[in-house]
Amino acid sequence: MPITTTRRRLLAGSVATLALPAFARAQSAVKPRLTAISQWSAGSDGAAITALGKKFEEKGGVWQHSPVPGFTTEMMNKLRAQIMAGDPPACSQLKGPEIAAWSKIAPTVDLDAVVAAAGYEKVVAPDLAKLHKPGGKWIALPLQIYSTNMLFLSKRAMDKAKADKIPVTWADFNDLAEKMKAGGVPYPIANGGTRPDDGQKFEAALAGISPLAYRAAIMNLEKKALEGPEIKAAFAQVRKIADWMDPNVGAQHFSTNLKRFIEGDMGMMIMGGWAQGVLRNAGFKLEDFTIAPGPSNNGKPVFLLNADAFIFWQRKEADLQAGQTLMAQLVMDPAIQTMYSQITGSIPVRTDVDLSGEGWSDGQRRTAAALKDAIASNQAVLSLAHNMAQENGMTAAMIDVITEYVKNKTIKPEQAAIRLAEAVEGAR
Amino acid sequence: MSNAAAIRPGRPALPEWVRRLPEYLMIWVPLLLSAAHLISFSLWTIWISFTPSTLVPVSGWVGLRNYTAVAASRNWQIAFDNLLLFGSAFVVLSAATGLILAILLDQRIRGENALRSIFLYPLAVSFVVTGTVWSWLLNPGLGIQKLVHDLGWTSFKFDWLIDRDMAIWTIVIAAIWQSSGFAMALFLAGLRSVDADIVKAAQIDGAGPVRIYRRIVLPSLWPITVTVVVIQLQFAISTFDLVRALTNGGPGIATQLPALVVYDLMFQRSLLGRGAAAAVLMLLILLAVLLPYAAWRYVQRRRALHA
Amino acid sequence: MRDHSFAPSRIWIYLVVTLIAAAWLAPLAVVVLNSLRSNEEIAQGSMIGWPQHLAWSNYPAAWSGFCVAETCSGIRPYMLNSALVTIPATIFSTLLGAIAGYAISLWRFRGDNWIYGIVTLGLFLPQQMRLLPWTIVLRDIGLINTLAGLVLIHTIQGLSFTTLFCRNYYVAIPHELIRAARIDGAGFFRIFWRIILPLSGPILIVTVIWQFTHIWNEFLYGVTFTTGQQQPVTAALIALSAAVADIPQHGVQSAAVIIAALPTLLIYLIGGKYFVRGLTAGAVK
Repeated sequence: MPITTTRRRLLAGSVATLALPAFARAQSAVKPRLTAISQWSAGSDGAAITALGKKFEEKGGVWQHSPVPGFTTEMMNKLRAQIMAGDPPACSQLKGPEIAAWSKIAPTVDLDAVVAAAGYEKVVAPDLAKLHKPGGKWIALPLQIYSTNMLFLSKRAMDKAKADKIPVTWADFNDLAEKMKAGGVPYPIANGGTRPDDGQKFEAALAGISPLAYRAAIMNLEKKALEGPEIKAAFAQVRKIADWMDPNVGAQHFSTNLKRFIEGDMGMMIMGGWAQGVLRNAGFKLEDFTIAPGPSNNGKPVFLLNADAFIFWQRKEADLQAGQTLMAQLVMDPAIQTMYSQITGSIPVRTDVDLSGEGWSDGQRRTAAALKDAIASNQAVLSLAHNMAQENGMTAAMIDVITEYVKNKTIKPEQAAIRLAEAVEGAR
Repeated sequence: MSNAAAIRPGRPALPEWVRRLPEYLMIWVPLLLSAAHLISFSLWTIWISFTPSTLVPVSGWVGLRNYTAVAASRNWQIAFDNLLLFGSAFVVLSAATGLILAILLDQRIRGENALRSIFLYPLAVSFVVTGTVWSWLLNPGLGIQKLVHDLGWTSFKFDWLIDRDMAIWTIVIAAIWQSSGFAMALFLAGLRSVDADIVKAAQIDGAGPVRIYRRIVLPSLWPITVTVVVIQLQFAISTFDLVRALTNGGPGIATQLPALVVYDLMFQRSLLGRGAAAAVLMLLILLAVLLPYAAWRYVQRRRALHA
Repeated sequence: MRDHSFAPSRIWIYLVVTLIAAAWLAPLAVVVLNSLRSNEEIAQGSMIGWPQHLAWSNYPAAWSGFCVAETCSGIRPYMLNSALVTIPATIFSTLLGAIAGYAISLWRFRGDNWIYGIVTLGLFLPQQMRLLPWTIVLRDIGLINTLAGLVLIHTIQGLSFTTLFCRNYYVAIPHELIRAARIDGAGFFRIFWRIILPLSGPILIVTVIWQFTHIWNEFLYGVTFTTGQQQPVTAALIALSAAVADIPQHGVQSAAVIIAALPTLLIYLIGGKYFVRGLTAGAVK
């Protein structure tokens, strides 16, 4: 049976340079075509990528998108199969450090020239830019941004607690939760219980306590920071959050609780900006809840970055190359990013897009403002729970510890901190 | 075979093997393809388990490092313990459920066709769907517990799904629901092939129904029971979609199972080498179960030959 | 024991059977009820509940309305894809398994027990483990992203089950029957068509049911080895489930689940009786 590895084939070419003139020539000679793989198939995700495809076709391109429904893992299986078959898509969804990892197994396109032409680098958060140019050259382009630690407040629960101030620090947050509990809100926290959900509780806690410690421990995996007091404090905060949740939620999706959240039986939710779209699509009114940046002990917003992106795989076909250039230009285009974010509820990657106009919600405006402030104060960090801070293997090892801690109340914060450090060592 | 050929009436002198080429091809090509894919895929996996492969297969040699890493991981240890518990509990309970259902259906009751279809239909539905539906039914805030609370019995508690120690039993429940229809069908088939004359003779001798079941019917089901156990074991070991949709290994990592760990390592964590090592360990567990069965079959066959 | 000699206990039997049947039907009931509730109603209420307004529109939406990215054609085309893979793969694996089982049980040839043992071991080889090797094989024979590739995979993998069950069934056929036919000059295929196949009804129903449902419900290979418009129905079902950033479309999804399960449910409803009958002869040996 002809079973051999494909490494030689895969590593045959390194990142090759495609000069801009070649692009231009190809573009004029052929109809641009794009083969793309993503997991965006349903709801607003599906609608947004469909709209992007329409724009691509309006510019004279042929749009060949192949959605792989389900978990990211299945999308990656498909991508891996295509790469092993020597037939990668011209572009595919991929995010965070996985961009660097996958770029080692197949040649990618050097986008430096197109990026420079669009002046894109100046308007992208520096930590984010780094992820998309792993070898020093742009090979992938971020498309939209979410913050994973936005704070959603239920209007009715606030009324029950007789509170109107949005909590700024974790101490404020804890006070408000106690007030809600006292005011007759049975469960002050409305989160779900999936693995990313548990991860989000932890990253929101740690980054809010100390963005510096988050950067050192979670993004840079510094041993000293992983054993530092902030980690224990974060786990202690997570325990409080878990204790305020309905234990019955199990591993359900956060959307299970939306009704009780709106009705004030649950008070707060630490969730990505996408929850706004979910609430809206479920038919709830925007005035029934408030969105604010997640708690931050130093008072300045902390932004946990989660960005979706496209990576571009090297193809020899002239029409695909032309399609890649067109796609890259579209993804960086402020109008396109505006269109995309207005469908999905995210915010644009470009920090120079004006969100004051129509089509944006207050939540989105606040998120964008928080991002600007966070970048200015160096408090925009990469989300662990949504695979932005570490490669998937490391992320999963860390989330194992976190989700076990959330679900098992006999584990002490000190123990959890030790286990987290051990998990990091084991996965290195 | 040779004497059959010798008796054949005279035909144009084509060599025997040419004449029989089509049948050889029809027999051997599919069987050899099947065997070849099983052997080569297994060997490939064993090979990969000794390489440093991560995202894609690569060559290289890391010795037993992948194995020690898997064996040392909490996920695998929990998965292994769970497999022992889940495997034995599920196999015994689903066989028992299947047997009880079969005996009930065998009582010449009205509506047997409909009932049989009801017990069999879960086999027709995809595990992803049933896992999801069970995750609602078993969730204390959504499903059975809430229903009973709403009916007024508010102290009722059925929250195994969120209980670390009991969550594995929710998988047992869903798996029994999904697959004991198959056991039922096998047992029902067995019950129906019990020799009616012997039963009649026993009845004439004045034996009651319980006694007839204990002395005549159940002993004759023994070979079927072995088949049921083997098929359910195969189900237990390869249980994947159901758990992924029902608990996804949670609460925390309390309901990990080897098949889940293999997939997680290979494709979620992009640690192909380690995932392959876990798969090989899983195959070894399988062999530990199957070898006794094969030995039993062998002894049985020898006995049949000598009888 | 199969007469009515112990009638008093029969009420008890009916009671128990009805209770168990109700428990068995509960998950189906949840799905059927959800298929009649709108997505909003479920999102604003609970996953389990009685429909407030019958949302029949879920069914047309599931059948030909909802979108998987750009393609807004419901599950209809995906049903066709699944049929295009499931039907040939079921026929091939059943037929080849029947021939193999017939040869192993009634003709006996050198190495038959060995190859039979190896092939049946395939029942136990986890699917996840075979994904990458199949990727390599399909690449090398040029069948990646084709339905033919999926048919090939399911035919070869299905042989493990079909050969096992057919062989066990044919073992019970008296050898004298074959011997007499051979003396009359009948060859391998003629005996198969004329004598064996007519006797095989029950066991073929078992293997057809088993193969059909397994292939129809398969997801992992279905999404990895196809692109876009060729995806199986399971992919379209998953597309409707909760993405992290979206409201789960439980109403339409439940309707789609029911439509997608109709072929397999029908097969069980119709074949159930023969299933038991076939197993009576097939799996017992």
